[in-house]
Amino acid sequence: MRVKAALLATLMVIASACSSAAPAPLTSALSTDADIDLTAPTAITLWHGLSGSQQKALDELVAEFNATNGKKITVTALLQGNYTQLYQKTLGAIQAGSLPELAHAYESFVADYTKAGVVVDLGPYVASKKNGLSDKDDIYKPYFDTNTFPQFGNKLLSFPFSKSMFVMYVNDDMLKAKGLKTPQTWDEFDKAVQALTIKDAAGKTTQYGWAVPLGASDFNAWVLSRGGNLMSADQKTVAWNGKEGVEAVRIIDRLVKGGYAQVPKGYDYQNDFGAGKLAFFMGSTSTRPFIKDAIKGPLNWSIAQIPQTDPAKAHTVQYGANVAVLKSTPEKQLASWLFVKWFNDKERTAKWATTSYYMPARKTAAESALLKEYWAKTDTQGKQAFDLLATTVPEPNVRGQQDIRDVIQDALTAVTAGKSTPEDAMKTAGDKANAILKDNQ
Amino acid sequence: MTGPIARAMPKSVLKYASLSAVALIVAYPFYFMVSNSFKDLFEATTVPPTLFPSVFHPENYVKAWEAAPWARYFANTAFVAITTTLGEVVTAVLAAYAFARLEFRGRTVLFGVFLATLMIPSEATLIPNYIMMSKRGLGGFGLGWYDTYQVQIVPFLASVFSIFLLRQFFLSIPRELSDAARIDGAGHLRFLWSIVLPLSVPSLVTVSLFSFIGSWNSLLWPLIMTSVPEYRPVQLGLSAFRQEAGNSYHLLLAAATFTIAPIVLLYLVAQRHLIQGVARSGMKG
Amino acid sequence: MTVQVRAEGPSRRNARRRRRIGEHLWAYGLLAPVIVILGVFKIFPAFYAFYISLFRWDIIQGAFRGLGNYGDILYENPTRAEAFWRSLSTTFTYGLFTVPLEMGLALVVAFLLFGKLRGRGVYRTLYYLPYVTSTVAAAVIFNWLFHPQYGIANAILGLVGVGPQKWYDEPRGLFELAASAAGVALPDWAAGPSLALVGICAFSIWHYFGYQVIIFLAGLGNISNEYYEAARLDGASERQVFRLITLPLLSPTTFFVFTIATIGVLREFNAFYILTNGGPLDTTRTTGLLVFKTFYQQGQLGLGSAVAFLLALAILAFTLTQQRVLASRVTYE
Repeated sequence: MRVKAALLATLMVIASACSSAAPAPLTSALSTDADIDLTAPTAITLWHGLSGSQQKALDELVAEFNATNGKKITVTALLQGNYTQLYQKTLGAIQAGSLPELAHAYESFVADYTKAGVVVDLGPYVASKKNGLSDKDDIYKPYFDTNTFPQFGNKLLSFPFSKSMFVMYVNDDMLKAKGLKTPQTWDEFDKAVQALTIKDAAGKTTQYGWAVPLGASDFNAWVLSRGGNLMSADQKTVAWNGKEGVEAVRIIDRLVKGGYAQVPKGYDYQNDFGAGKLAFFMGSTSTRPFIKDAIKGPLNWSIAQIPQTDPAKAHTVQYGANVAVLKSTPEKQLASWLFVKWFNDKERTAKWATTSYYMPARKTAAESALLKEYWAKTDTQGKQAFDLLATTVPEPNVRGQQDIRDVIQDALTAVTAGKSTPEDAMKTAGDKANAILKDNQ
Repeated sequence: MTGPIARAMPKSVLKYASLSAVALIVAYPFYFMVSNSFKDLFEATTVPPTLFPSVFHPENYVKAWEAAPWARYFANTAFVAITTTLGEVVTAVLAAYAFARLEFRGRTVLFGVFLATLMIPSEATLIPNYIMMSKRGLGGFGLGWYDTYQVQIVPFLASVFSIFLLRQFFLSIPRELSDAARIDGAGHLRFLWSIVLPLSVPSLVTVSLFSFIGSWNSLLWPLIMTSVPEYRPVQLGLSAFRQEAGNSYHLLLAAATFTIAPIVLLYLVAQRHLIQGVARSGMKG
Repeated sequence: MTVQVRAEGPSRRNARRRRRIGEHLWAYGLLAPVIVILGVFKIFPAFYAFYISLFRWDIIQGAFRGLGNYGDILYENPTRAEAFWRSLSTTFTYGLFTVPLEMGLALVVAFLLFGKLRGRGVYRTLYYLPYVTSTVAAAVIFNWLFHPQYGIANAILGLVGVGPQKWYDEPRGLFELAASAAGVALPDWAAGPSLALVGICAFSIWHYFGYQVIIFLAGLGNISNEYYEAARLDGASERQVFRLITLPLLSPTTFFVFTIATIGVLREFNAFYILTNGGPLDTTRTTGLLVFKTFYQQGQLGLGSAVAFLLALAILAFTLTQQRVLASRVTYE
């Protein structure tokens, strides 16, 4: 056992030396990898967490790629359950040493996989003259930002795959009935929520204006919308525990305690919204299909930017997962990259947006006739969301972020349950988060 | 005449009343589950809950059944539970026979070691087992059993509890029987097969039921060691369906109903053995 | 005579030895499957767990830390230490609010059921039913019974004039809520178990008490009738019989049930995982769940093993003390 441990330790030292101390030779070695030719058939496997109609949409695209790539590449897409299961399965595969070539993953997953030394740096592939990306600028910059990891030498370690964003869902009928416009600032929002709440004679709320699930991404978006930052410039401490964070928590605290907003259980609020019994909630753009399912009668609703401090400089959170290429052979890594590149080209990303409810990765996708028709005919709200894409900011992709999300959620719960003041909660949460970051350096 | 009855009546009434009250509380969740599984979502979320569905919606069961690969989940669970039970009973019979009927050096020590393993909580062995069974290649002492059936079966093929129960029973089989068998020239296996086992059918049934129910209801281990529906048991299926079903509570309750139905039926059929077994296990205290 | 014995001795001894060797071969042959399985999946992993706990094992094996992980958990790393001690106290509170109630209820029910009673089998079958029901399905139902909007628990509270509660989402303590309803603010240490934990206690009692009823019934059945007859002849009242005969003679059973129940409490995982997964605000994160979180959700296998090892020690220490203290108070017939 000791020999094995020593061997492993030595290997790890060598591995870490390779990745940190000697980037130059490694990069050049990889750039030749990115330029090789594929002659023999290459089979690669993609593990993902998309079920139902999204799985069908993915399978369709994969089949198209297999039929048309001309390089004898065969991709097999395998569903591994929900995101948590996907993550756990991949961790298990790292233990087992039997990884797929492509892994669908959130940024924090990618950070963990990279720590275990199994993720391929995509930089050289993007830059490759032969197989690279010629029109890099067409892909939204936030998508590159989120997949570039400051903790790991600012390398590009994953690529956009199933992207969405944090937006506000609005019941337009209710606003219209009260003669209100879609709120743009937090003050307007505050008033609108109060105006759209219905209370009985005893002062008991019978219909809430805002359903506010307490999620870390929600909080991050609120901080961004108030002009705050999520991380310090050096990425070593969190920045959301400042005044923007406190203000974000305060408004929830006040509206919840005043009986205007409600912390829902599970997904109840989607039913309420669909039934026309809720004016606002905020969430991912990929909630669209569930809302459409929940709508029982005629209902005018839309997707809008979340309230801002300064609507001219709006910011919200970029949601959704990416795909990472895992280390295998040069041929398989290249084949994986070619699939990822193809998946994000103009035509495919547009098609993906019409079949999966995810956001397209490219600006020019909006020019696609297919997407235009789809937006006009079946998914008005999809276009409304797309128009907000440039305002998205990625959430931190440092290691430990998964734990920090729990810390944030606990802070929100503590405040709404009356266990803590917004100020205290932010202070405690910030300290905890910084300790986690230090633990994960 | 009327005196004693009048005095006895309230007492037994009180007895029945309190027992029935407890029974009602115990049974209510089951009733609630079944009754709500037949309502539509609107009625299922009515406050206060209606006691009986105003319109029956048996199609909830069809919808719930179609929403996830239940057939596969059930097949997985049935296969794992049956294999585990059979294997565990076989190993337990052999070991219990050795402990009860054979003289050998190290018997006491070994039995002590077996009992001591009961003190090792499964949490403590969770992580090493996870590493050991996920890894591939015996060189790194790995089994490569992630996402398999054997990972859910093999580690459970030895149950100290079953060995203990069976040994206790084997010890109660009179010595004369084995002496007589030996004189007839029967070996250990013959004796075990043709005399001991037929005598111990009730004990075997009890042990099998415990093993089967335990396997059917296991959650943590398959949660960690499997990730795909091809190998996942019905408990994890229900746990996953909880998330997928989102706000479709009526479907969730329908799924809950059909996942517990087999075990409840088995229990109702075999409850006598099970309850006797529990009672007997308690007598060792 | 002596010559004869000497002549016969070796062959008879040989035969006996051969038989003894044969018996040993048989014994170990029959035991082999169990020895291998327990050895590979139970005994070896226990040692391996300790080995893992000595390393920084962050998804993959890292540097040797000695007892560093234990240091972190016990005092050095404030977040981890707080989580660990808190989980122990949560586990303890859970036990304190579950075991006595469960056992008390089971004892009373068993006592009522004991003796001639029409429908006894039906009651017994029903009480035991929750125990065979899978925790996942049962927890699905309970989540619903204690739903903040639609649950029957709140409907019942409403009847007695108490407002709706959030149950499995409520981090505030039971006493804290009661006191704040009366307009009194309690300090944190007096807040009591969170309402979420109370909800889990209710679930556990429902789920496990039937098992105890069966064992208590068996225990009652084991008390010889002579004692009762003697007591009645002496003119003892029924209450006296219960206090002076039943309770003391039932004590071995009570002891057994107590042991099983406390070990069950220390190891309960499923109910917590399904109902709250440790939340809200970590008020239901028992040590078992902390192991799961550290290892499975945070990928910290070394730290997780250390927590698991400490939990194993706690269980061991508890069981031994309990045997010592309680065994001396048990009356055997």
